[in-house]
Amino acid sequence: MADKISKGTTFEAQEVVDKYRAIYYAGASGDFNPIHIDPEFGKMVGLGGVILHGLCALGFVAKSVTDWAGDPGKLKKLRCRFATPVHIEDVITVTGEVLDVSGGRASLSLRVARQNGDEVEKNVMAEVEV
Amino acid sequence: MAIDTKFIGKTWPDLSYDVCKEKIREYAKAIKNPDPHFVDEEFARKSKYGCIIAPPTFCVVFGGALIEPIFFDNELNLNLMMLVHGEQEFEFYEVVKDKDTITSTAKITDIVNKEKLDVMTVEVLSKNQHDRKVCRGIYTFVVRK
Repeated sequence: MADKISKGTTFEAQEVVDKYRAIYYAGASGDFNPIHIDPEFGKMVGLGGVILHGLCALGFVAKSVTDWAGDPGKLKKLRCRFATPVHIEDVITVTGEVLDVSGGRASLSLRVARQNGDEVEKNVMAEVEV
Repeated sequence: MAIDTKFIGKTWPDLSYDVCKEKIREYAKAIKNPDPHFVDEEFARKSKYGCIIAPPTFCVVFGGALIEPIFFDNELNLNLMMLVHGEQEFEFYEVVKDKDTITSTAKITDIVNKEKLDVMTVEVLSKNQHDRKVCRGIYTFVVRK
């Protein structure tokens, strides 16, 4: 949990995309698109197997922010562009930095990358109540 | 075929969703987030919220349910094989709690035809039983031609 949120504060979090993550997420979210649950279909459409739901990976990003902020209700804005698919067994590292604090809000820039350095999401921004 | 820009402004019927702690628990497990605000009743009861609350991105459960009818809309006729989720934006307002009833509305706010792809933006607004906003989600989909 962040003791003090000020400009330049950084944090980091990591999640492993385990073999069944997309199945769990499909069940919880209701998104059963075959690209997320059927490896054969994923191969057929050129994805090399199943890919994780972008919104699940964004859920990991939200977790990194709310864990750091200490209160899930403090997250007020979150946005990203899905840049490249996340695959099973990827390790996703989220690195956040506070760009500015004003008007009761901290603006954060986040880097979301997998083990080989590819940014799986780009233009990732969040706002947290302070 | 390009998505016709005449569908900008198209809306779908409102959708009501009853939030429950078991679904919150299931969703929290799926995104690997065991924050006690979501899963520990005793902790949640003593928290400033007084009960189990949902992770912010739980809004994809009640709001995302409105995306499916858009995907399968006969008039819109999207080529789902070529559709990818391009961008996502959320604004969070009042926290979503166990036993809330959330009503969501969806509207196509923009369609841009480009040479090789179309970009369609859908806004989903969700309010609780007190008519207070809980989330505004901007879903941007890219359909390759």
